[in-house]
Amino acid sequence: MTTAELLPLLFGESAAGITVTDQILTGYATVAGQDVAVLGTADGTYINNAAALRLSAHVIEVVKTRPGLPIVMLVDSAGQEPNRTAEMLGLAGYFGHLLASLELARNQSHRLLTLATGKAIGGAFICYGMFADAIYALDSASVGLMPVEAMAAVTKIPVATLEELSKTLPALEFGAEPFALLGGVKEVWPTDASLPAKLAAALASATTEDDRARLGKERGGRTLAFDVQQRVLADSAR
Amino acid sequence: MSRVPYHELKARERLAAIVDPGSFAEILPPPARVMSPYLPKLGIPVAFDDGLAIGRATIDGKPIYLAAQTGQFVGGSVGEVHSAKLVGLLKAAARDRLPCVLLIESGGVRLHEGSSGEIGIAEAIRAVFACRAAGAPVIAVIGSDIGAYGGMGILSACCDFRVMTEHGRLGISGPIVIEKWMGKAAYDSADRALVWKTSGGKTRYLLGDANALVNDDTAAVRAGIARLLGPASPVTLAAIEARQAELAARLEQFAAVTSPEAIWQARGVTDPAAATLDDAETFVASLAPAAP
Repeated sequence: MTTAELLPLLFGESAAGITVTDQILTGYATVAGQDVAVLGTADGTYINNAAALRLSAHVIEVVKTRPGLPIVMLVDSAGQEPNRTAEMLGLAGYFGHLLASLELARNQSHRLLTLATGKAIGGAFICYGMFADAIYALDSASVGLMPVEAMAAVTKIPVATLEELSKTLPALEFGAEPFALLGGVKEVWPTDASLPAKLAAALASATTEDDRARLGKERGGRTLAFDVQQRVLADSAR
Repeated sequence: MSRVPYHELKARERLAAIVDPGSFAEILPPPARVMSPYLPKLGIPVAFDDGLAIGRATIDGKPIYLAAQTGQFVGGSVGEVHSAKLVGLLKAAARDRLPCVLLIESGGVRLHEGSSGEIGIAEAIRAVFACRAAGAPVIAVIGSDIGAYGGMGILSACCDFRVMTEHGRLGISGPIVIEKWMGKAAYDSADRALVWKTSGGKTRYLLGDANALVNDDTAAVRAGIARLLGPASPVTLAAIEARQAELAARLEQFAAVTSPEAIWQARGVTDPAAATLDDAETFVASLAPAAP
């Protein structure tokens, strides 16, 4: 589904308030009658310094002009732009600043909600989408560190081995459902007319607690993270 | 006193060298055998600490939390257990309102553990900001050849402060990935001078991404950390707006620039060729006042 088709499905006529420039989304819309700010990426674009800066500029505008307005973040990006001048100019710093701007919004009572709509891969997901209070994904979304073929190419482990292991280790599988088993997304949603109601309910129930490790344990996809975190907290308190 | 090169040390040697003698108390040390459940299934040797040493110590008598990554173990990469130790440590630092010092040496997410380490880094980034909100500064120390890349590069950029040496590198995509993407003519990953001028400590310091550039010497690294063990850097609207303006001005100033030398000259390095060989202190001391 293209961005031009998806935005009206999510926001109805209010999707007209969202501007898409060079695959970067910024603007305002309504979800089931509730005003929200919208930002994100489209069409699997790569995020570079300028794109990150446009997203953080929108966050700053929302914080300054629309106190407490929830922020909906849409993710369809294949990753950070692998480019020498982008790195030379400090791409990590631009991503860190985008995250800091979202932290400012969170601290000023803006709820942050992410919907992975297309590609939500690696650094592109870390640099804003995975920082939300609550994270959801469409069932058609490509969510994860990297597809299994790419993982095989880098680790030199055969694709067949990784695919066999992924049957019991969802961390090695690529997609929205296995990512949910790890606690990385709360729910996976079908792409249909129920989306606005689901978004509105998700906004109403979002809290600032990071419960991903607990979810990963409960769902059996990431069995050690929660317990190890708790052990460190307990041992350090002695 | 003779110089002890920070970049040549292993994780626990670094910890021991920068804290008050004998003050480091490790949490989940190797005998606890908290290990990766993934690597054995892939036929890869495990480490009893999963490549991360964490604990408490003091610097100049001040209590702090610390972590040190082991670059020799799967590139310092971040898997499920590694990230959970880091998240637990950061949460402890926020709870106790103590500074947290991260000795970073990592290429990022451990690919062998797939999305598990990716989510772990995202949790650690949330925990870094929880520290900042609690007024507990998080200080990233980047002084190894492996540097801080991928998700650990992003996490480093989220910390209150970054201390780098000329050996340290900070970025997201590494040179080999970029060479594959852009071609060898655009970025030759074997050209060490270009790689370090692209992502190394000197360039990061000149552009304002590193708060301190110190010599590759444990005493200098320790002093660089000690100077930053005061107040945290709060996430305020004024601070965010100032950074937005700074980053926008940087993009505008260097829009047409492709060579790191041009950045060095614009930021006060009069002779880039000579400055390449300078140690950090000489490099910083010789900077001309930056052009407005």
